Amino acid sequence: MVILKNRSTTKEHVFFFTVYQKLMHLRPYMLLLFLLSILVHPFTYFLYRKRKNSHVYKQRFEQQCQHYKENGSYTKWKCAFVEQEQAKARFFGEQLSEQQLQTSATSLAEAKLQRIVEKDLANEGLYKQSYLQFFGQQLKKQSFIAITFVPAILFYVLLLLFANPFLQYVIERILQSFIVIIGVATLVFTILYLSPFDPARNLLGVEATPAQVANFNRIYGLDQPYLSQLWHALSGLFTFDLGTSFAGKEDITHSIANKFPITLEIALLSLLMAIAIAIPVGIISAVRPNSYLDYTFMFIALIGLSIPSFWQGLLFILTFALKLQWFPATYNPQNRLSLLMPVIVLGTSITASIARMTRSSMLEVIHEDYIITAKAKGLNEYKVITKHAIRNAMIPIITVIGLLFGGMLGGASVTEKVFNISGIGSYIVDKQFIPDIPAILGGVVYIAITISIVNLLIDILYAYFDPRIRSKMKKS
Amino acid sequence: MKTIVHVKLLLKITQEYVNAHFTFVFSLLFSLLFLAYSYNFSSQSWRPIILLFFFVYIITTVYVGFLTLRIKSDLAKFGDIQKTTRLFGFPLLLTIASGNIFSVSFAFMLVSKTKTAEYTFAAYAFITQLFIIGISALNLFKSYVTDTFLVAMGLFLILAIFYLALLVLCTKFVTAKDAPKWMIVPGILLVIATFTGNLFATLLGFSLIQKARKTNPSAIEKWQKMWQKILRNTMAVFGLFFIVFIFSLSVTSSWTFDYDFATKNNYGALLQTPSLEHPLGTDNYGRDLFSRIVFGAQISLIVGFFSTIIPALVGGALGAFSGYYGKATDNIIMRSLDILYAIPGILLAIAIIAAFGANTINLIIALSVGAIPTYARTMRANVMQLSNYEFVESARALGASDAAIIFKHIVPNSLAPMIVKATLTIGGAVISTSSLSFLGLGIEPHIPEWGNILKVGSTYLETHSYVAIFPGLCIMLLVLSFNFLGDGLRDALDPKTN
Repeated sequence: MVILKNRSTTKEHVFFFTVYQKLMHLRPYMLLLFLLSILVHPFTYFLYRKRKNSHVYKQRFEQQCQHYKENGSYTKWKCAFVEQEQAKARFFGEQLSEQQLQTSATSLAEAKLQRIVEKDLANEGLYKQSYLQFFGQQLKKQSFIAITFVPAILFYVLLLLFANPFLQYVIERILQSFIVIIGVATLVFTILYLSPFDPARNLLGVEATPAQVANFNRIYGLDQPYLSQLWHALSGLFTFDLGTSFAGKEDITHSIANKFPITLEIALLSLLMAIAIAIPVGIISAVRPNSYLDYTFMFIALIGLSIPSFWQGLLFILTFALKLQWFPATYNPQNRLSLLMPVIVLGTSITASIARMTRSSMLEVIHEDYIITAKAKGLNEYKVITKHAIRNAMIPIITVIGLLFGGMLGGASVTEKVFNISGIGSYIVDKQFIPDIPAILGGVVYIAITISIVNLLIDILYAYFDPRIRSKMKKS
Repeated sequence: MKTIVHVKLLLKITQEYVNAHFTFVFSLLFSLLFLAYSYNFSSQSWRPIILLFFFVYIITTVYVGFLTLRIKSDLAKFGDIQKTTRLFGFPLLLTIASGNIFSVSFAFMLVSKTKTAEYTFAAYAFITQLFIIGISALNLFKSYVTDTFLVAMGLFLILAIFYLALLVLCTKFVTAKDAPKWMIVPGILLVIATFTGNLFATLLGFSLIQKARKTNPSAIEKWQKMWQKILRNTMAVFGLFFIVFIFSLSVTSSWTFDYDFATKNNYGALLQTPSLEHPLGTDNYGRDLFSRIVFGAQISLIVGFFSTIIPALVGGALGAFSGYYGKATDNIIMRSLDILYAIPGILLAIAIIAAFGANTINLIIALSVGAIPTYARTMRANVMQLSNYEFVESARALGASDAAIIFKHIVPNSLAPMIVKATLTIGGAVISTSSLSFLGLGIEPHIPEWGNILKVGSTYLETHSYVAIFPGLCIMLLVLSFNFLGDGLRDALDPKTN
């Protein structure tokens, strides 16, 4: 037992204590903190046992109980409980023996006594303390921190990091993304592992001898048990060493690294195009809802959403490359102009989605009270829209853009096939016939990682810029 | 000043006027399209058939423009559309022969003053049936027709006449609130007619039976209100019409279309340009493109439907449990779904197909798995909101089990957003199906499917571009229809989310 002093001598004292208290509410953190400070625990536990034997709390408790029993409150409560139990029995039509009645009333009265006494003692500043609470109290002492700082350095670093709610959010979010990425890798690997196809047979042909097949499986580790293969794949993914592909014996990480930039470039250019076109269109539509312009824009947007990208690509090739001969039909790294058609094709559906989203988000914001207030104060429409409406309407749109970007990277494989671009998407499609397990795994997981990182950045930026999220973090 | 505002408002809320405007714009657009296409720039000559279409459409446009002005002046002068103006709508009904669905539906709308949901259903059932007859009749130019062709066509004609009769009966006897008792008989017949895939007939039959039985007035009112909201959205109605039309066509195609034309190689007719015998030409094996596209609709609809309904059920159930139980259950379910959510749907589908092979069942599974998280999220949000309502509390107080509370009380009340979501994602599933087929990862290549046809078309892009253009157009129209219907449903069922 410890007597709490509400005044602390210096600020530094309370700092570690408050962070510790905040984190102890969450079970995973409790475990983590305990593990990180494991070296200190034998020492503090010894202190705790010593203190506990001082019995001050127990004595005071007994005293208070005695006080209530003597002034007759206890008997009063007991009588009330007896009456209550009788009323209950009457209502449900049950028969209660006198003894049963007495035991239940006594236990209820005891519980009440305990509650009240605990409350009284708490008012006096007396607490029944668990070990972890005791440990927390120790953190208030400068000397304790000084002694334990070296053995529990990680513990203090964690507390320092998590002192800032924003930093805590960022760390938690990164951890979450990491777990998701591991989950993605495991899932994709499991799907490919369960495949009924036999890559060895597909590559070596039907005439291959069992020895050849066994040799192939041994070289690529396909004869090992599931868990060891999974571990191999996961460590390969994170050390950027996926070995060689089944067919062609090329270094997978190397080929992915070669093919990734072009896919990313097209995707980013499409995204830029989408943002540049869709947001103004959405804003204009929302400012003049149900006008001819609005209907036309939204109709075109819906067509953009409904058009299959490979068909759009074929139409573009047909008109602009074959008939009009403005652009080359297939992608050519030397010719920057050949990027234009793939960028437009890949960006069409995302442009349409963002335009529709911008419109609905803007319409929602425009009807908010603060916009009416701004108008009532005599602000002109242009200022109301640019200064007040757009900034607030952008918030949901940015999240949607992050999610759509993922879909776009996934859909890139189709566009790449149409325009004959050797990007990561067409690489995966080419490899799936064997199936070349490490190549597909690498392609899919690296795309998923890119998407996760983009969404992670967006979420963090969000938390940084949106005052509502910041204040919410501080409150919790 | 006051009257002007009044007239403007009246113009806005008068459906006929809005619709007339809309019809005018679309008829004009189509006429311009026909005009642009009627002249062959490469050979410097006119295409007579297309030119004829242009004239028909431009005359329709002018006529609709005249009607628009008349309606406007009627509304300004009398505040109501006069009977003579409505009579002018009858000649417009003839435009059905030109396939101008916009003007036909406008005509049906104009000629009757009372527009119950039943009237609209009957009109569209009739139009759908006529379109089916028209499309099927193109088979007459083939060298032979299927054995069931004549029987089926006769049946279609009888059905069309039946729908027309019901259309007239609906204007005479059916009001917004009730229908005479004997309407049960045609109602049952209409429900039986569902086997031709004409879902408008089903809807009509269902609401006629409901009204004629007069058992539950509040249900009738709800049903009517919902449909009135949906039917007010012109684009949503056209979307529904096109979906029902394609569905009905794919159901009836096995009776009027010969599957052999779509799959058997015919080396005497390789890569022919569109003609009466092959309305959309033939492909590199001499297979009739028109038949292939019609049969392709079946696959697209089946895959689209199943890859929407499976994730909706699985994701819906997971989301419901997650939202209802919260805490650890919620955490486990939603965090595992986050993993699925992190992989783009089409990539996950490619990985699954790479592992298990390309066929229709695998394709449906592959597309379904990727869509589960979105449905789970939608359902979870709804359930979390609903489980705080009083009716859930009272069900719990009455001792209902958790399963009963979830599936009897919460899920039925959160279906509307799920239906909207499903309608909006069927389109995506149709696109994904054909995209994967195009990559050689979807439906088996020998089955006529839109993506497969396009794959062939892409190799003949330079010389025979029509092989690639028509199936793509079908995909786009079908997806566009689902999107329009989805938007309409969202506005009608779930006004909050818009």
